[in-house]
Amino acid sequence: MIEAVKSRLIDQLDKIVGSQFVSTNPADLYIYSYDLTFAESHSPDIVVLPQSVEEVQAILKLANQEKIPVIPYIAGGNVGGLTIPLNGGISLDLKRMNNIIEVSEADMYALVEPGVTFGQMKAFLNKNHPTLKYTYAFSPPSTGVIANAIVQGLDNLSFRYGAASHWVTGLEVALATGELVRIGSCAASKTWQAIAPFPELDGLFLGWQGATGVITKMAVSLWPNPPYNTALTYMPMDLEGANEILQSIIRTRIPDDLIGTSFTLNKAGVAAYEHRKMDLYPAVKREGEEPEFVITAELTGNNEKELNAKAEAIGEAVDAKCQSYKFTGPETMPSTTAAFPMQALGVLSSGGGLMWVGTYGPMSRWLETVKKGCELQDKYDITRTCYTRIMNEGHFVGLRWMLPYDKGDPALVERIKDLCAEQLELVLETGYIPYKTPVWAVRKLEEKVSPDWLKLHRRIKAALDPNNIMNPGRWGMPRE
Amino acid sequence: MALKDLQEWLYGCTHCGTCKDVLNIFSPACPAGEKYQLESYFPSGKMLIARGVANGVLNLDDDDTRERIYACTGCLSCEQQCGVYHHQHIFETVQALRSEAVTQGNLNPAYMVMVESLKKDDNVFGKAKAERGDWAKDLKIKDAAKEKTDVVYHAGCMLSFDPELWEIPRSAIKLLEAAGIDAGIMGAEESCCGGRAYEIGYDGEFTKYAEHFIETFNSLGAGKVITSCSDGYSTFKKLYPKMNIEMKFDTLHTAEYLDVLIKDKKLKFTKKVPLKVTYHDPCHLGRHLGESGIYDSPRNVLKSIPGIELVEMERNRENAWCCGAGAGVSQANPDFALWTANERLKEAQSTGATALVTSCPWCVRNFRDAVKKYGENIEIYDIAEIACKAL
Repeated sequence: MIEAVKSRLIDQLDKIVGSQFVSTNPADLYIYSYDLTFAESHSPDIVVLPQSVEEVQAILKLANQEKIPVIPYIAGGNVGGLTIPLNGGISLDLKRMNNIIEVSEADMYALVEPGVTFGQMKAFLNKNHPTLKYTYAFSPPSTGVIANAIVQGLDNLSFRYGAASHWVTGLEVALATGELVRIGSCAASKTWQAIAPFPELDGLFLGWQGATGVITKMAVSLWPNPPYNTALTYMPMDLEGANEILQSIIRTRIPDDLIGTSFTLNKAGVAAYEHRKMDLYPAVKREGEEPEFVITAELTGNNEKELNAKAEAIGEAVDAKCQSYKFTGPETMPSTTAAFPMQALGVLSSGGGLMWVGTYGPMSRWLETVKKGCELQDKYDITRTCYTRIMNEGHFVGLRWMLPYDKGDPALVERIKDLCAEQLELVLETGYIPYKTPVWAVRKLEEKVSPDWLKLHRRIKAALDPNNIMNPGRWGMPRE
Repeated sequence: MALKDLQEWLYGCTHCGTCKDVLNIFSPACPAGEKYQLESYFPSGKMLIARGVANGVLNLDDDDTRERIYACTGCLSCEQQCGVYHHQHIFETVQALRSEAVTQGNLNPAYMVMVESLKKDDNVFGKAKAERGDWAKDLKIKDAAKEKTDVVYHAGCMLSFDPELWEIPRSAIKLLEAAGIDAGIMGAEESCCGGRAYEIGYDGEFTKYAEHFIETFNSLGAGKVITSCSDGYSTFKKLYPKMNIEMKFDTLHTAEYLDVLIKDKKLKFTKKVPLKVTYHDPCHLGRHLGESGIYDSPRNVLKSIPGIELVEMERNRENAWCCGAGAGVSQANPDFALWTANERLKEAQSTGATALVTSCPWCVRNFRDAVKKYGENIEIYDIAEIACKAL
């Protein structure tokens, strides 16, 4: 950024948010230039922390006028390099906007600002609305509720309700021009209960990685919080068995959450949960009669009778379909729900690095994709770390291979990069689409889509962000 | 500890942010991060700064960068919340950055004054060494430097030189007397423990004081050193053992010792003290001591005082919010120190308590200053003061 422009910009930003919330300090710029992935580091020119919608609008107006990139930021933990400012500009850290504005018990939604975290939401609901719950990702408590919804995250009620963007019931967005729009019922009324029956304009912002505007308020669904819960675990000896068990459970429509992991990842996860370290390098292999996979179905009930009946029905469904496969289970375990959000992710990746090719795809090609993805891990002598979550009652599935790594080991970083590149090729072949899409995967995806899709996508981006200031270089427009 | 010796831990942090909040309660845990909000003030940011400095990308000659490194009260709440393997090395890394800055000659003016005072008068307040024992002038107490006593009471810099806090060591002495303990003090011969010098990166000064202190107390032949200073206590317990010099004396905090004296029926409280109080766990008496953190003793003492009703704050024991005074912050950044203290006072008031009791003079000083600045309606006591009321 030209120094004269920067200086002028800083003066203006100081006036908008106060000088203590504007920084050009090298340490700040360094910190906001990295994340836990191997994404190339790019530094912002300025870090700004607004506290109000009006301040966000004023910053956007200014940035748009000066044609300066703006990159929304909350905790920076997205595993996609999504808040690294590819073209410099302003890192717009929204953590000071952290009010839970409203919880409607009757309409079962929470209206939150962008800085509200999973941890904050959980504490607030536990204290003030214990009969309601939100859904949390396998991620740290500092994860932003809105950030998780924008990137279409997969959470612990995703079996029932799909990706996090599916339970958004209203939005307030500051456009790149500084204009402010409300989307959903809130556009015409005081309540934020649903996007429908308006045209679904939320799609202009959800899944866009902040490339079309800054979401300043979001209403998200809350759900009743049944008092009884448990988890059922199955451990198949091969992936074919895992596939069949998952399919059987899907058809029951019973669980709140249905996940599966490579047994080796499960072992590391349990260790992390207990604050023990399990080194995943060199690659950890299955030993003796250890299973290949661990499948967990989370169940809830209004009473013990309902809970037991659900468990019994799942047991019968699996028994009926999976006789020809070798597996153990069901084992009844305490539900992990209470542990969400959790710090296990940070522990698991305690070499400073975590990467994955995370995807959503069809259950019909799950087995083939998981097998090949795990074989690629074998090829690179990396522990099998498949993690899968069944979404929206089995209409699609989340799939990734979690790759914790030591950022201080350049040879390992290169190995992880090469593995990710191959896994990306694989998933694109089997119809799996990368989520929280890192920029290198966005460009690959753009090669797969039709030219008309690309034209429409870029036309929308240009219409909403004519000066290409919103998190540029990602969705909608390649880096210049 | 030098930064190069911590290489193993510099890549441990994923910047996951778990350190920002108290686990499961999800209330703020890091005073610096909460106050300033920029990532560089949070523990994970400081770990990244350390990485940047170690890799030569960031320089410690930048005043603003150093300001971020010194904006840390060393409360170790981050180490409590973080579940990653480097978690016991977070403040060690911050201290190493400070040490690196000192080694490079990038000094903080507020600390230069403090260190000069240490060199000249053995205290961190710029006061004459001869005044060190003034707090006990009219007390009939043995001079441990001249005659052997079973117990030596170490007042520490803060209690020796702040007349507004003299009631604390005087109360402690009264309690020891009431329990029939043969105690003495070092008076003007007492010196700083060096703990603060260590925390602000002056490793050499710390070593000097540690060696001097251990040798002096070894030569006295007293079996026990009792102190009301939590900072001093954690220095004796945690840092001195790293010197590899045999310590021929045991150290107890006043709260710990009072608890023992009460249990041994040597100390009895007879007067009613009708107060609803909450207890603030000093970081140096809690988290700094790891699994040996002293949480029960002060509560036991309070519960043994007739009339006291003890209520807990949400963030207590290992998860207590810091008072804001630690690691040199109250000297160099009083605004931050007092803001942090006031956050705690608001939490204390929300319990319905009319008084906050703690066991560290740095906490007491900072809380009382915060009451003056922000006007929260709550009384502040040291554990010895409140116990003495019941004699």
